[in-house]
Amino acid sequence: MNRVIKNKILSVTALVALAVFAAQASVAAERKSVAVPAVDSINGKVPGLTTLGAVPVPADNKQTDAKIELGKLLFFDPRLGGDASISCASCHDPKEGWAWPDQISRGYPGTVHWRNSQSIINTAYYSKLFWAASATSLEAQAPSAAKGGVAGNGENDLMEARLALIPEYKKRFNEVFGDEWPLIANAWRAIASFERTLNQYDTPLDKYIEGDKSALSEEQIRGKELFEGKANCIACHNGALATDEQFYNIGVPYSLRWEEDGLAQITFRFENYAKGVTEEKYRTVKDDMGLYFRGKMNSDKGKFRVPSLRYTAYTAPYMHNGELFTLEEVVDFYNAGGVTEDERTTDFTETKTPLIKPLGLTDEEKEDLVAFLEAFSGDEIAMQKPILPDYKPLFTREELEDVVK
Amino acid sequence: MNYMKIMFKSALAVGVVGIFSTISVFAADTPEIGKLPVLKIDAKKAELGKRLFFDPRLSGDGAISCSTCHKPENAFAHPNALSPGYPGNGHFRNSPSLVNTAHKKIWMHDGRLGTNLNDVTRGMITEDYIMNMDMRIMQERVKQDPLYIQMFKDAGYGEPSNGKVRKAIPEYLKTLTSRNVPFDTGTMSKSATKGMALFKGKAGCVQCHNGPMLLDNKAHNTGVPENLDIFLDPMNHQAFIAYNMFMGNENYMNLKRDLGAHIHTHAVDGSGKGTFMTPSLRELKYTAPYMHNGTMTTLMEVVDFYNQGGGQDANKDERIQPLGLSYSEKKDLVAFLESLSGDLLTSDEHVWKAKFKGEYDVIENWRDTRN
Repeated sequence: MNRVIKNKILSVTALVALAVFAAQASVAAERKSVAVPAVDSINGKVPGLTTLGAVPVPADNKQTDAKIELGKLLFFDPRLGGDASISCASCHDPKEGWAWPDQISRGYPGTVHWRNSQSIINTAYYSKLFWAASATSLEAQAPSAAKGGVAGNGENDLMEARLALIPEYKKRFNEVFGDEWPLIANAWRAIASFERTLNQYDTPLDKYIEGDKSALSEEQIRGKELFEGKANCIACHNGALATDEQFYNIGVPYSLRWEEDGLAQITFRFENYAKGVTEEKYRTVKDDMGLYFRGKMNSDKGKFRVPSLRYTAYTAPYMHNGELFTLEEVVDFYNAGGVTEDERTTDFTETKTPLIKPLGLTDEEKEDLVAFLEAFSGDEIAMQKPILPDYKPLFTREELEDVVK
Repeated sequence: MNYMKIMFKSALAVGVVGIFSTISVFAADTPEIGKLPVLKIDAKKAELGKRLFFDPRLSGDGAISCSTCHKPENAFAHPNALSPGYPGNGHFRNSPSLVNTAHKKIWMHDGRLGTNLNDVTRGMITEDYIMNMDMRIMQERVKQDPLYIQMFKDAGYGEPSNGKVRKAIPEYLKTLTSRNVPFDTGTMSKSATKGMALFKGKAGCVQCHNGPMLLDNKAHNTGVPENLDIFLDPMNHQAFIAYNMFMGNENYMNLKRDLGAHIHTHAVDGSGKGTFMTPSLRELKYTAPYMHNGTMTTLMEVVDFYNQGGGQDANKDERIQPLGLSYSEKKDLVAFLESLSGDLLTSDEHVWKAKFKGEYDVIENWRDTRN
């Protein structure tokens, strides 16, 4: 049975939906990836596409139903942010593929982000979060997002103070973590646990790999052959998550938003400034240097971590800056050797990977490939925003009046 | 402690005489109340600072400016008992007037900033419950505005930067200086003149409220009651908790009182708890309600409070004693306090009245323009 559909039906109340997620979590724990042979690719022997195995769970943050339930509330709670107006779900909106449907993500009020918002679905399987892998766990990703100036713009002290003033959270943090008062670090742990339940295991491709040969259309099967052969997508998009989580510059051009939008220009400069580049680079660079920011190696300019192809039917536009609007455009881009239809490419051509070169795909082949890419997505994973608990004063007027100074 | 020394001295001088003569000795020992010195102001830098002061793009979400909590029509204070704070939270202290703030040496009700207005500006802009601004983003916002680019250049600052923002705003604050104050111009009413004598004498106000700013750069406990709205409204309480957490106060979750200057004195005997900086008494006419937490709505209420010997507090300054002022003496004292207020600074000279655009201009030819 399709758990996603089931979830959709049952998500009338938060509690029922959570029970389903808990069930999902326990099922996932026993899950095994289907063994498939390695594939020869332009990148050497790579793991074949397969189903997702058990969700990796860090030893110091075990999944429990109560923690997942708390994490869900916090994921949707805008009080974990600067002005209490946006939550995780604001840029990772369940209705928008748990992402944001614009080239670059919306930002904190008064700002815009500078990269495309990635879907939460299946992120539990990543070992590298964010486009340039600046976090290596969901527990570390959440605070970065909640605190960044063009994201949540929250501060630990105020967010922690807010949690303390919500009795329902005080109770739940105590039950889940033993906190006397909610600790902000545990909020990120709870959110990470919730995110670990947001996985999809029943895409047409999964079913096909599990043995249901009717799960893919003939067109999609041809697309799969191209994916693993002539188009060589498999060179990087391989294994259960359809990514090798390595870094490549594939030629995605700078964002047009930086040319057209003053707000985006502000953020572009801020990011370069905040990430500590040299003044000369701050003055002159006009494209996102990606992995360069992590180790400041010129050879890393314009490189980004390969994203999963799962759930992409719901997460347009594509690439780290959303410069490609449809899967067709993505295929055209690769077919042209990492160049857009308007003939733009990365500013950092010197670091562009040699793996990307014109593919010579026919129109029919491109259609087959797009059809196959659609097989990486199952039904939409919907979720209602839960009813959030209210603030309540910590003290009564009597208690306050009784204070002897 | 200073007052102990003075008490001892006065005891020597006058022996066991009445409290009133003791106070007159205090008055002789304190800096004379009088006119404020004139500050040298760079007009172009101040003009830039003025625009920045009124610009909501200096807050994280672009919703509030310095002038949101420091309103010109309230002598750059705010009429609420507790300042509004940043959207998403409240605040736990009364917004003080910024008129004459450039004449101060120590800022904030708890006296936690004792360096300069550059630091105060930075503190207010970046504090999460105040303006919650990442100054790196602020710098890039300012650089996106062609008028700012021109104004920074004209001011001799070169390219806009967050450091120069923190210089320009203090320069503007220097322009916020009292004008046409009856006390300064020698045009006080008869009643106010009598009030001034009480102020220096029987009422003993001058012990702490002295010098041109009518303050002593010290924190004292006068027993001002708590403003329970800090704790009863979770919006205010969250800012209070965050502040106490950040300041390193112990047991901040259970605090039911504002510790004031204790946050930086940390006296082990707790004697600094509930002490607050002596505020200036200038421009009081426009800055009600009063005290660090806005719990007193009129000057008469304030005078009544001191007349009864202040409030309840184990740390209360021993000099706060019942004063035995008559009704007409209290009225004279209020008249004097009012005579310390001048004109409102609400014209174009002090207020940036042009609207700020909701959107940022795009830098044309961006690819070929140096950032």
